[in-house]
Amino acid sequence: MTGYPTTLVEALDRLPGSANADGSLRGFRFLTTDREDRFYTYADLRAEAHRRAAILASHGLSKGDTVALVCPENHEFVLTFLGASVGGFVPVPIFPGATFKASDHYLDTLEHIVVAARSKVIVCITKNLEVIEKLKERAATKDLIVLAADRDFAGDAPAFTAPTVTPDDLCFLQFTSGSTNKPKGVAIKHRNLVANTTAFLGPDGLARTREDVGVSWLPLFHDMGLIGFVLGTLIVDLPVVLFQTSTFVRMPRLWLELITKHKGTITYAPNFAFDLLTKRVTEKDLATLDLSSLRVAGCGAEPIRARTLTDFAAKFAKCGFDSKALLPSYGMAESCLAITFHQRGTEMIVDKVDAAEMRKGKAVPSDAADALELVSCGVPFPGHELAIVDEHGNAVGERVVGQILSKGPSVNEGYFENAEATAESFKDGWLYSGDLGYRADGNVFVCGRVKDLIIVNGANHYPQDIEWVVGDLEGVRRGNVVAFSVMKDGLEALVIAAEGNSGDAARLKTDIARVVSETFGLTPAHVAICPVGALPKTSSGKAQRRKSKAMWESKELEEHP
Amino acid sequence: MTRQDLIGLFRKMATEIAEKDFSHVGEEQKIAELGIDSLGMLELVGAMERELEVQIPDEQLVGIQTVKQLLDLVEKRVQ
Repeated sequence: MTGYPTTLVEALDRLPGSANADGSLRGFRFLTTDREDRFYTYADLRAEAHRRAAILASHGLSKGDTVALVCPENHEFVLTFLGASVGGFVPVPIFPGATFKASDHYLDTLEHIVVAARSKVIVCITKNLEVIEKLKERAATKDLIVLAADRDFAGDAPAFTAPTVTPDDLCFLQFTSGSTNKPKGVAIKHRNLVANTTAFLGPDGLARTREDVGVSWLPLFHDMGLIGFVLGTLIVDLPVVLFQTSTFVRMPRLWLELITKHKGTITYAPNFAFDLLTKRVTEKDLATLDLSSLRVAGCGAEPIRARTLTDFAAKFAKCGFDSKALLPSYGMAESCLAITFHQRGTEMIVDKVDAAEMRKGKAVPSDAADALELVSCGVPFPGHELAIVDEHGNAVGERVVGQILSKGPSVNEGYFENAEATAESFKDGWLYSGDLGYRADGNVFVCGRVKDLIIVNGANHYPQDIEWVVGDLEGVRRGNVVAFSVMKDGLEALVIAAEGNSGDAARLKTDIARVVSETFGLTPAHVAICPVGALPKTSSGKAQRRKSKAMWESKELEEHP
Repeated sequence: MTRQDLIGLFRKMATEIAEKDFSHVGEEQKIAELGIDSLGMLELVGAMERELEVQIPDEQLVGIQTVKQLLDLVEKRVQ
């Protein structure tokens, strides 16, 4: 057989039962929430997926129906997702909530997604069953069928003939989070998934080999964990070791310990995780780690800071970590996952640019001490195009900041049953990313978001730059600070909100105003020091800029006097 | 493991994670007031789990606010 499969279902059918050279079988390894090791060979995954497809069908589902999936247990999530795929149903992964509390806010989001996706069935596990059952108390979701994966997929499956799944069928809906808007369901077809995953795992991307092993703790309800380490890896036959995000949060070192133990070759994480490991791993721990097997340590999903990655490489060089493994990446759910990748196996490229010129939207190289450092996210994949345009949609030149546009077979056709949102982001085959960036020597550098841009006195400021600087202050925790602009007397004014202790509030206000003034020449109109936990966070724990702004404007944001 | 050992372990781990000196923190202290947010709290729990070779399920952590409440929970799992 030659070439790649054309659907996820075909991929699952084709996965080899043949053993590795050492006699071991290929498959997926899970470290469960109870920290038990569970290994499923490809044949096990396939058999269980067929069983679950039949059981799902017995609840009255037909081809094309959606199945909401809220499973805070990776193997249950994967097996149910694949079961739905085999049955021709469309899984809709949903954030399982950080705690087991059924807050109204969480239930509102769940209800919104279940209704928007038209799901008749929702699958959870017994641990969060009580929360999910509460949906049945709501008018819009009172008829929802609630299944617990670890309970309701037991026993024999009824007879079932799986339908034919084609590349043009919907594969799953990826609801995007992170903004004040109601989440929108990115509709991914099998052909988008295959196009994107074979691009980024194929010869022009990570160049998967038979010896590769992926290691990941990324959540499976987000594209980076789901496509990067479950769906894409199945399409190209790449065995993985998956452990829970909740376990990573408690024991960050376990990430590197599992890479050591399983000789992991590919891993990915957002910037903060690299920072965290550099901080947490002690000299004593270093002696027990071996990262020499790692050929790809990808970084994406949030702004990438050069120093974070160089510090990580320097610290872990002692464990055999190769700095050429660092692979800054850029992408978004509307393009499945990946849009551009840095060239694998080469040193990361850092562009130092003049801070004052950047505020005017120009990336002018600079050697000054206060120059901004931006990390190259590389180039688009073959068969895909990338453009950078100004606010009128006209292409801008080299080293000029504009909105990043992407086009090609990975880009999906729009949001599920949401014509308005689709028309805003998809025009003439181009995906309007909403991200700002520039190109230099063919490489793409991402520097902010179109809508979050802070423009004061005609100068553009990227909120993450301000947040980084504030996050460096004593008493402020990185990720728990937001910068945004508000309209004040007809002019944009800067507001900074950071979490801190009441005892530190007065000092922090002064320190933040001082550092922002020194670094950016900006005087904040207001600095809010909020109690720990007061800023709204995304499902991945990042403070939400737009939501914080909305709360501040409506005087709902709690702050120390 | 005595209660004294447990609070000692808590202080050591909290100091490591928050990068502040918590060597005199008492049991009635609210964890959030130490400037440790929910993620920091989970990391603290993980550090104690590793050290003591126990497991504390997520759902049992709901509602934990003070050092005392956390240590009670850990103590129960150790026994």
